[in-house]
Amino acid sequence: MAEVLRRVLSPSSAAGPEEENTAEAGPPLLLLCGPGSGKTALLFAAALETAGEGRGPVLFLTRRPLQSLPRGTGAALDHLRLQKIRFQYPRSTRELLHLLCSAHEARGPAPSLLLLDGLEEYLAEDPGLQEAAYLAALLLDTADHFSHRVGPGGGCGLIVALQTQEEGDSGDALQLSVLQRYFPAQCWLQPDAPGPGQHRLRASLEPGGLGPRAEWCVAFRPDGEMTVTPWPAQAGDPSSDKGSSSGGQR
Amino acid sequence: GVWRHGWRLAGGHAAVCGGGASERDGRGGAGGGAKLKFVFGSSAIQALDLVDRQSITLISSPSGRRVYQVLGSSGKTYTCLASCHYCSCPAFAFSVLRKSDSLLCKHLLAVYLSQVMRTCQQLSVSDKQLTDILLTEKKEEA
Repeated sequence: MAEVLRRVLSPSSAAGPEEENTAEAGPPLLLLCGPGSGKTALLFAAALETAGEGRGPVLFLTRRPLQSLPRGTGAALDHLRLQKIRFQYPRSTRELLHLLCSAHEARGPAPSLLLLDGLEEYLAEDPGLQEAAYLAALLLDTADHFSHRVGPGGGCGLIVALQTQEEGDSGDALQLSVLQRYFPAQCWLQPDAPGPGQHRLRASLEPGGLGPRAEWCVAFRPDGEMTVTPWPAQAGDPSSDKGSSSGGQR
Repeated sequence: GVWRHGWRLAGGHAAVCGGGASERDGRGGAGGGAKLKFVFGSSAIQALDLVDRQSITLISSPSGRRVYQVLGSSGKTYTCLASCHYCSCPAFAFSVLRKSDSLLCKHLLAVYLSQVMRTCQQLSVSDKQLTDILLTEKKEEA
């Protein structure tokens, strides 16, 4: 789902004909961050973006209902899109597992995007390696099943947000490396030095060999509005043609 | 690193095992087997054995969702996901996940071989039964 995140993060480069990857879901993506970052807002922005594509609904899984809807990037909070986002709140790992294992039983249109916020909370209940792998694998399997139901020309994307520990131990590192093996694409959110009244993040997208690496600055104003700008390219950095819409590598 | 490549290598099983399968022609042809063994170690021989013994079953339900079950040499049944690398066996947890000694366990390798060779049992179950199979695959009870 690197493409959706990329479109969320660079709306200007999404203008113009989206040839290859419009309906393709792209690889599953792991959104990694420290505490207190804007991962939920980014996930929600991805949900709104996909909900506006005219395909299936978006399934947003999170442990607790969002206290308030994140502001997003401008005009995207339209009600038609909101109606296409289905929230479910599995309160435990067991409930989440049951939801994923029974996903094929539900009828109706298959989701075009599956989002999970707060994987770390579910992993904390059952921190074994096999349990973590099983949860990751089931998420992939569920998205894969939805993709098959959607049929050719579509697909169901998967974005999972995981908060990592600042000072993890080697067990955490091993668990993270196991999870990373299931998610070809990853996006790291790192806090940036805040400006006045702002909370800022550096978002680094590694699309897993299926596109160029790219970086953005994601800023949250005090009123919650999220703005995204390309991260200033370093001198000699080859991955900086985000603005070009002339069909560069995507 | 090699692990990322390893997942894709195993995922692109046709590319890796296709040559082996065509050279194998039934039970003859050691060429393919040697290649498999080079890449996958001793799991390869055990995996081929599982295939030969028709130990792999592809289970599907009316929803179209599928899962594999493999009858292990010990008589225990393990569950392997169809869409990505996961097996409920202890060797997967230990050698693949924890130690990173292996790319696959023998059950997963057997599943991929049976896909390439187009030989496995098929079983249809209800949607509900498939849910139960997926729910209990988490860990094989001792």
